[in-house]
Amino acid sequence: MVVTAIELNGVTRVFDGLPAVTQVRLAVPAGETLWLCGGNGSGKSTLLRLIATALSPTYGGGSVLGCDLLRDRDEIRARLEWLGHQPRVYGDLTARENLEFVARLCGLSRTLVMPALERVGLDEVAGVRVAGFSQGMRQRLAIARCLMRDPEVVLLDEPYAGLDASARVLVDDLLSDAVRHRRTVIIASHEAPPADAVDRRVYLESGRVVSAEAVPR
Amino acid sequence: MTGPSAVRAVWAVAEKDLRVEIRNRYALGSVLPFAATMLLAFGFALGPNRTLLLQTAPGLLWLAGLFAAVDLFHRSYQSEADAGALDGLLLAPVHKGTVYLGKALAAAAQVLVLVLATGLMVGLLFGLPLGRSPVLLALTAVLGVVGLSSLGSLFGLLTVTGRRQAALPILVLPLVSPVVIGAIRATATLTEGSTEGVSGWLGVLLAFDAAFLATGFLVYSHLIED
Repeated sequence: MVVTAIELNGVTRVFDGLPAVTQVRLAVPAGETLWLCGGNGSGKSTLLRLIATALSPTYGGGSVLGCDLLRDRDEIRARLEWLGHQPRVYGDLTARENLEFVARLCGLSRTLVMPALERVGLDEVAGVRVAGFSQGMRQRLAIARCLMRDPEVVLLDEPYAGLDASARVLVDDLLSDAVRHRRTVIIASHEAPPADAVDRRVYLESGRVVSAEAVPR
Repeated sequence: MTGPSAVRAVWAVAEKDLRVEIRNRYALGSVLPFAATMLLAFGFALGPNRTLLLQTAPGLLWLAGLFAAVDLFHRSYQSEADAGALDGLLLAPVHKGTVYLGKALAAAAQVLVLVLATGLMVGLLFGLPLGRSPVLLALTAVLGVVGLSSLGSLFGLLTVTGRRQAALPILVLPLVSPVVIGAIRATATLTEGSTEGVSGWLGVLLAFDAAFLATGFLVYSHLIED
């Protein structure tokens, strides 16, 4: 039986009277990697924010891992990681302190911090304040946060933006890792992710789903 | 749902805020000089009349503390807005009331340091004595600081969304007036060497602190959530 990890039922989000996402119906089976594509302003980021519970739908509803988008937000948040445009880090804290803070808020062991930093190549600067990090290093730290949390659902919003070649490999590794562990992934990107990592492509235009097609591996 | 206990979440947020403050030294480097300048300016404006200085000192102490604290609350949330860290707090799988209590605890520690430092300056510049009940004076300082911090930590959140930056002083200053008045009256009475009526003012402070903290805990999630 196919278990649906993410289900959106006619989700609409309006900002100042302008719809950013309109009547989106989407069902993502558990373990699927879905590539969300579309031009600028097509609603990709808004849709990810809605699934991450960073935004509430104006109309419609849905569920993530069987938890209601509006009623069970903290349940969803405990099992999902969203890598957005901003790395969500504190410049005045070190890389290690940033991850330790996340670990404490998520009820995780601090012993998970250093292995995660090692995986993204930041272990040697673990004690350095993030204010001195480049954009790419901050993005690596965000990826380390995702690896540390080991979530069931991963949302990646333009994960390749601003990354050099070595950091792009990390995103690809993150995707491969997600596929291997049967995590549910939605990746919103202008750039095509590795074909062997993607199961389905959904195209958004003006906040509406205009096409959805399986991607042969 | 997995997640930390409420106490652990409160402490994690408070410790993070204090660590950030220790690193950037905003309170010491920016807010404290503002309070010192304000006191010095009033000292010169009021002249050498010792009676007048002593009468106005408790009010100036708490006003300097209040204005410095408002600036501090704004700064505290600005560091959350940088690089989208506020989204991290929003998406943490914890009751958002615990985030509020953590931020209020850290703010209270910082404002307490500010008020103590300002009090020291007032003592030196205006000759304000400690009175005969330093314990009650310390209790007044703690209760006053908790009142300021509990309200500032709630409404400081509104400053990180562009159009509401002016809302912090507009919302905080009228609501915090009972706390400031209570703290000023209790401080004035205690520094005069009396304790008459102080318990009433401390009761007012305690009641407002409890009301602000309870309100903040309950409504914070509505303010931080979309």
